[in-house]
Amino acid sequence: MNTSIRLMALLLTAVVLQRFLFDQFRVDGVAADAFLVLAVTTGMVCGARRGAIVGFFAGLVLDLLVVTPFGLGALAYLVAGALGGLLEGVVVHSARWITMLVAFVASAAGVLFFAVVGSLIGTAGMVEGHLITVTLLVGGSSAVLMLPTRRAVLWASADSEPFRAAVHS
Amino acid sequence: MAPRRSTGRSRSTVILLVLTAITLLTLSGRGVGALDSTRAAVTSAVSPIGDAARWLFGPFSGAWNAAFDHGDLARRNDALVQENERLLGQLTQASISTQQLQELLNLVGIPFLGNTPVVHTRVVSGTIGNFGDTIELDKGASAGVVKGMPVITGQGLIGKVKVVGEDRCTVELITGGSFRVGFIVIGTSAVGIAEGVGRPSILRGTNIDVAQTVTEGQVVVTAGLRGSSFPPNIPIGSVKSVRSEEASRQTLVEISMFASTRDLTYADVVLWTPGG
Repeated sequence: MNTSIRLMALLLTAVVLQRFLFDQFRVDGVAADAFLVLAVTTGMVCGARRGAIVGFFAGLVLDLLVVTPFGLGALAYLVAGALGGLLEGVVVHSARWITMLVAFVASAAGVLFFAVVGSLIGTAGMVEGHLITVTLLVGGSSAVLMLPTRRAVLWASADSEPFRAAVHS
Repeated sequence: MAPRRSTGRSRSTVILLVLTAITLLTLSGRGVGALDSTRAAVTSAVSPIGDAARWLFGPFSGAWNAAFDHGDLARRNDALVQENERLLGQLTQASISTQQLQELLNLVGIPFLGNTPVVHTRVVSGTIGNFGDTIELDKGASAGVVKGMPVITGQGLIGKVKVVGEDRCTVELITGGSFRVGFIVIGTSAVGIAEGVGRPSILRGTNIDVAQTVTEGQVVVTAGLRGSSFPPNIPIGSVKSVRSEEASRQTLVEISMFASTRDLTYADVVLWTPGG
């Protein structure tokens, strides 16, 4: 089974998790975002390019499930996945919390990008007070969920690219 | 040379994906039907997962959401207590109340939708993800539901159908702010445009001629002007606050919706399409 098929399996798992679990249990109306977690984690494990690709397809799947402008999720999660990879590449890792912080920042950036671009193209109600809550809660949940997801992404990409030593640590 | 080639390939792949996303956004903005059809098919395909989750986690998620929404529950409870006291007070004026009710109906003006047929539906799912206020209903194209149809509760307008599958449809709630509704203020000649602001039960009304006098408490219903996506006279809400902008020659209002978009269990799809 090659990497692409494994990553596709992870994407399908993300759909089930999002629909089955995360959307049911919200904090202040905010749900964890399985697609964003997958995009950012892939970027952190496999690098910015693969993070961007997986982010694009994860966002595309999200676009199929929601009614926000089609393509917005693909663009935002591509950015988040790439950013996860870029940040992981430049940050010196000495503790797990730094890895979690990278996931937090990349996820928060993805949420903000989604809201700001959505607002710029005419979707009202995206940039308002609740956005801060959404950004913090999604970022926080991504930071936590990144840890188990990292194992899954490592499995999916086992026979492709060399991994970052820091991620294994 | 190899790393440079690899970097170039990475860059071109990412650029290609960005361009693809922008193209999709453009097509979405132009309302290309194929995207909606694909969404409808995916919605239908994954709906069993949502049903199973609702069946399995329903009681737990209710308790979970209540635990994390305690402040809001307390506020709503206070509001209900006040409402209850007000209604009890009104009961003592029973003979007058009947007359007042009739007057109110006359003031609102209109039979709610007249003879326009509706499809009764059950809400089977809430919003997926964190953006875009939506609900999923258990009826779709097989029941005559078509994209763009208004969705109401007993109190008034809540949204319109966005995506239609064979036995499901996704409704975009008006509170999300992703579409606008033309309205008239009952008892005046004021017309305006209402849109959501991302807050439950609150809409913003704009484009009202500053020469028109609008006061707090007045009832707002859909205008149903030519080309409108909604039929006339669906109750929307009442004017909560009024502010005039002399510079832009318009009056802005805040509208408190009659219908609640939270904790919905049932909703009706109005079988009405523009021009139909």
